[in-house]
Amino acid sequence: MFVIGKKECFGLLKGTKSLVVVFIFLITAYYSAKFSPLMTATVDLNAREAKDMYTVGILFLVVILGQLFVMGLSHDSINREMHERTMRFLITRTSRTNILLGKYFGILLFWVLCISVSFFITSLFSKSFHFFIFFQTICILTYQVALTIMLSAMISKPGMTMFLSVILGIAFPIVGIWLALTSKAWIAWLKYITPYYYLERDDWTCLVIVLIAGLMLVIANAVFGRREC
Amino acid sequence: MLAIDTKNLEKTYGQHKVVKGLNLQVDEGEIFGFLGRNGAGKSTLINMLTGIIRPASGSFSLLGVPCPNGHIKKMIGVMPDYSVFYGNLTVLEHLKFLSALSGKPAAKERCLDVLQWVGLDDVARKKASKLSFGMKKKLGIAQAIIHDPKLIFLDEPTSGMDAESAIHIHRLIKELHKSGKTIFMTSHNLDEVEKLCTRIAIMKDGEIAKIGTMEELRSYYRSTITVHIKHGSIPEKEMPSFEQWLGSFAVKPKSDGTYTTFLLKNEKEIAELLRTFYQYKIDVYRVGVEEPTLEDIFLEEHYSNDLTENI
Repeated sequence: MFVIGKKECFGLLKGTKSLVVVFIFLITAYYSAKFSPLMTATVDLNAREAKDMYTVGILFLVVILGQLFVMGLSHDSINREMHERTMRFLITRTSRTNILLGKYFGILLFWVLCISVSFFITSLFSKSFHFFIFFQTICILTYQVALTIMLSAMISKPGMTMFLSVILGIAFPIVGIWLALTSKAWIAWLKYITPYYYLERDDWTCLVIVLIAGLMLVIANAVFGRREC
Repeated sequence: MLAIDTKNLEKTYGQHKVVKGLNLQVDEGEIFGFLGRNGAGKSTLINMLTGIIRPASGSFSLLGVPCPNGHIKKMIGVMPDYSVFYGNLTVLEHLKFLSALSGKPAAKERCLDVLQWVGLDDVARKKASKLSFGMKKKLGIAQAIIHDPKLIFLDEPTSGMDAESAIHIHRLIKELHKSGKTIFMTSHNLDEVEKLCTRIAIMKDGEIAKIGTMEELRSYYRSTITVHIKHGSIPEKEMPSFEQWLGSFAVKPKSDGTYTTFLLKNEKEIAELLRTFYQYKIDVYRVGVEEPTLEDIFLEEHYSNDLTENI
C-alpha cells in the first residue's frame, strides 16, 4: 500500500501540477482577503469569518471546484492501469485492497500537501492558522478523492471517467449545495450523502464526511475485487 | 513438492467455458511448457493462477499453499503476455518499484545486475516508453525475477521477437532453471518448447489433450520409427540370405542398393538391424532415425481431431 501510495503521490507532485494547484489556492486566498470587506457586506459573515477570509477562501475553492480538480487529475488512477494492463504488474504482487488504498492515500496525500502548503503560506500573511477550517478542507478532500477512486474502479473506460469528471466537477457542488439548502422533502434526504450538509455546521459533524468516504471505498473495493484486469 | 496443483479449475465467460475442469500438477524444478492454439485457454489459465482473474470454480495451490493467498505472491514472478510498462518510469525505476511492491525492495546494484543479466544494462536509465519490443520483453523477464521468486510464469516469452533475441531469452530460461526455479511457460513456438521444456501439455478447447515428457508424447504418437541406412554394397554370395532376412520385416524396406529405408516398430529393432548388417559384413556409413517432432504431434493432435469432427 505504501509503495503504491508513494508512487501515486510522487507522480502527481512531479511536474507543474502541484505548483499550479498551490498557485491557484494562493491567488484565491489573496483575493478572498483583499475583497473580504466586500464579501462581509454582501454575505452574512461574522467578524471571525471575515478575519479568516484567507483560509475561508481556500475552503470555498475546495468546496466549489475541489471535485473538478481532484477528478481532473486522478479520474483514471484505477481504470487507466486496467485499460493499459499495467494493473497486472500490481495485482500479481499485492492484494487489490492494498492497491486501492495505496491509490487513495497517495492522491489524498498529494492534496493534503498542497492544502498544507497553501495554508502555511496564507498563515504567514494572516498571522494565524485556523485549524478547524483546515480540518474541514481535509474532510471534504477525503470525500472527493474517495468518489474519484470509486468511479475509476466502477467505470472501465478512462474516456468516460474524464467526461464524468467535467460533468460531476461542475454539477456536484451546485446540486449538493442546493440539496443542503432545499426544503423539498422528496429529494432533501440526498443531502445526507453529500458533504455540503455537514460543512454548514461549525462543529465536528464534518467527521461524517470521512465516514461516507470510507463507505465509498468499501464499495470501490467490492467492485474492484470482482473486476478482471 | 508440487509447484502447481489445480483441481477441476474452470473459467466461464457467459455460456462459454474457456477452461473446463482442469487438473494439472507441475513439480518443483520443472520447465513446464503449455501449448495450444489461440483461444485454447493458455493465458486464461495463467491469469487464474496468478490472480489476474478469478476462477469460476475449482481450486488450486502454488508451492503447496492453497490460493488465492497474498503471501504466495512474494514467491511468484509473472511475465504477462501483454507487455505495456509505465511510460514515465525508467527501466531501473520499474525494477525498484516492482521489487518494493513484492515486499523485497531491490538495491540499485541488484537491479543493475538483473538488467545486465537480461542484457538491458545499457538502457537502465531510459524511459520504458522508448524501448523496442524485444527490450520490453526482456524487461518483462527482469521484473518477473527481480524479487527472486521460486515459481516463474512466462506467458509467450519470445512471441514477436527476432531469432537472436529469442535465443538470448532461451539461454536466460535455461539459466533460471539451473538455479532451481520452476518455470511455467506458454508458447506458440513448438521448437522452443521442445528444446526447453522438461514436460509439455497440449491444451485444446479448454482441456489438456495430452501431457508428458517429449519422449512420452513421441512414443504415444509414434507407431513406427523410420530408419535410413547408408551402407556399402552387399556381397553377392550373401545376397539370397540377406534378401530373405529383409523379407522378414512386416513392411518391406525400400532400397536403391546402398541406401535403405526401414520402418521399425521400436528402438530395439535398430540394434538388431545393425547387428545383422555387421554379420553380413556390410559396411554401414550412416544411420538416420526419423522421429516425430513436437510440430508433428501438435498437428496430429489438432488436425486429426478436426478431420474426425468434419467427417
